[in-house]
Amino acid sequence: MDFRLSPAQQMLTATAREFLRRHCPPERVQEWVLGERGFDDALWRRMAELGWPGLLVASEHGGSDGSLLDVVLLVEEMGHACLPGPFVTSAVVATTLLAEAGSAEQHKRVLPLLATGERTASLALTEESGSSDPADVALACAVPGRLSGRKLFVKDAHVADQLIVVVREGAGLSLLLLPSDRRGISRLPLEAISGEKLFEVVFDGVEITAADRLGAAGGGAAALEPALAAGALARTAEMVGGAQRVLDLVVEHAKTRVQGGRPIGGYQAIQHACADLVRDVDTARGLLYLAAWKTAEGLTGAASDVAIAKAHAGQACLAVARRGHQIFGAISYCEEHPLHLFHKRIQAAAVDFGDANHHLETVARSIGLV
Amino acid sequence: MDFAFTADERAFAEEVRRFLRAQPLESFPLEGMDAGYGSGAHSRAFMRALGARGWLSMGWPRAFGGQERPLFFKLVLLEELALAGAPFGPLAGCWQTADAIIAYGSERLRREVLPAVARGDGTFWQGYSEPGAGSDLLGLKTQARRDGDDYVIRGHKIWSSHAGIASYGLVFARTSQEARRSRGFSMFVVPNGTPGMDIRPITSLTGEVYHYETFLDDVRVPADMRLGPEGEGFVALLNGLDSDRFWGRFYKAPALERTLRQLVEYANTTVVRGVPLARDPSVRRRLADAAVDLAALRALFYRAACLMREEATITYETAVAKVMADETGQKIAQLGMDLLGPWGPLREGSRGAKLGGSISHSYLTSLGHTIAGGTAEVLRTTIAVRGLGLPAEPKAEARSRG
Repeated sequence: MDFRLSPAQQMLTATAREFLRRHCPPERVQEWVLGERGFDDALWRRMAELGWPGLLVASEHGGSDGSLLDVVLLVEEMGHACLPGPFVTSAVVATTLLAEAGSAEQHKRVLPLLATGERTASLALTEESGSSDPADVALACAVPGRLSGRKLFVKDAHVADQLIVVVREGAGLSLLLLPSDRRGISRLPLEAISGEKLFEVVFDGVEITAADRLGAAGGGAAALEPALAAGALARTAEMVGGAQRVLDLVVEHAKTRVQGGRPIGGYQAIQHACADLVRDVDTARGLLYLAAWKTAEGLTGAASDVAIAKAHAGQACLAVARRGHQIFGAISYCEEHPLHLFHKRIQAAAVDFGDANHHLETVARSIGLV
Repeated sequence: MDFAFTADERAFAEEVRRFLRAQPLESFPLEGMDAGYGSGAHSRAFMRALGARGWLSMGWPRAFGGQERPLFFKLVLLEELALAGAPFGPLAGCWQTADAIIAYGSERLRREVLPAVARGDGTFWQGYSEPGAGSDLLGLKTQARRDGDDYVIRGHKIWSSHAGIASYGLVFARTSQEARRSRGFSMFVVPNGTPGMDIRPITSLTGEVYHYETFLDDVRVPADMRLGPEGEGFVALLNGLDSDRFWGRFYKAPALERTLRQLVEYANTTVVRGVPLARDPSVRRRLADAAVDLAALRALFYRAACLMREEATITYETAVAKVMADETGQKIAQLGMDLLGPWGPLREGSRGAKLGGSISHSYLTSLGHTIAGGTAEVLRTTIAVRGLGLPAEPKAEARSRG
């Protein structure tokens, strides 16, 4: 057993930390998330130059054959910087799904463009039920045929060139890879407190042919598994990074904010609150790394580790954010103070790819509850 | 990063499981109660059985009769013993004391005490706390006065676990009145039964005896029963506390895992109004939450273990693990009491008790865990000050002077 990062992983996280410190300070994050686009295209291109969107793409398609573990470490740094944008949506989830389910032709056509960040794709899964469990998908579609209905909480759909739509086809689930500008598709913004760009995507008699299939008919559920695990892990990493940043900010504040003649960090009421933040951040990170490692190694039972990691981070990292506000006091209630950005991001990540309840049910089954 | 056990570690785990299957645990007589930490009750016979397999001394250098097995073998042993509910109460204390004796003990301690530990005949109680010195150990009053080739110890120790049935006391005493508060303390290994030592049981809220108080009335020990250099006892103690927190709680996660399995089984098989309790959403949620907490707890302990193996600096990593271990234990005991409803409060051995009445016992003993071995409050301060670098609160004297 060894908890240490490899030298290459240390290099990756140090590079990312420094890059994001320079290019993604909280003031810019604030501007971006308040804007309509939600992120900075120039920064996205810089990230693409570093090869980040291609980490999970095979080298034959222009990527770098990276491991999910590396991506998790990178996304943790993105969470630490509160980087907004479609990285997890496209470079992690959609890319994993395309790599898993795509045909050779689809690989050749789409993956190279995702790897360079020139194009992005987004998964349209959730519906009125609010569930991210594929079993709850109701939207039906015959192939060939016409698709009518809607998907909810489709992230970064405004910039996605391709939508991967999960539909019910007979008894099983199928995946459709659709250009987002196809006639009959409209993208209606949902306004989230985090500034993350979420959409209701409405399909109004959209023409579907067999060429739109991603993977085999009825093969959707199996194909989705690795992508949903990658999404849950990436969102967990984002929460861990964000919670670490909250802790960093809180500790800096507690050391410098003087009340009653001494730094507030010298009072046990504050010290003990900070100790709980340490526990929450450290445990969330430990469970994240364990789950990411098991998933990357393809070990059996990894799904329950992913569920444990996401359920825990969804509760612990949010608790860190809330406690952070209490320690900071009034100043953190201001929009110009960065704390709320991290808090809202953690909140968004906590409900994406399964909230704590969803994952706790997986845990409940894994411990043998009938 | 690699979270797997090695093939050697897995093979050793299997060896331990074979040992545990070979003889029923009930056949080992018990002398002292199980305080719920996960190390089970105090059983000399069980300790001797471990000693017979060489497991008590397996981590020691060969020169001291050990096998130089790596740290993780000790963890594997503790995991398997705790999961099985074995009575290995004194084990972690034996390992820690032996490590100190090997590191800086006198020739006499090495010659007399180590072989007894290796056999399972040498067990220890900690004589640290006093009636007036709990969390603030530096306030202790026990004195050890040098008299020729001996020390003469006088004082009053309290909250010593299993002291009445152990072999030696580790008595922490003041050896000089130096101005610097942390200097001038030394540690002594005092054999039980030494004249002048009066060990009295304290009945705990469970109705059983776990703690003892000890009156030391001019107890005479040879100078070479001092553990470490004179006056350096506090430094050694402080360093020891990091590992004390680790070794005193490492087996809690597997022990709680055992409890959780019992509760899952109970929820699956208990039918309320025609439906298994396991289908009650709040029960399901709380049991799943407990499983998540245990996974988190294990992550903290294994991280600390890796730091110990790498001999990296530990500032707060064992403290945060101990706090979480104890609070998770309280949470799971509470959950068990809630699941069992009116059967929860029935004591061990009672007619009608569910799960052998073990839950009420865990519930009561868990109350002491956030107090013993460093209170949760003291440890949270440690995490904040040593881990995060927050400023320490001014000391009491500074305040009164100020």
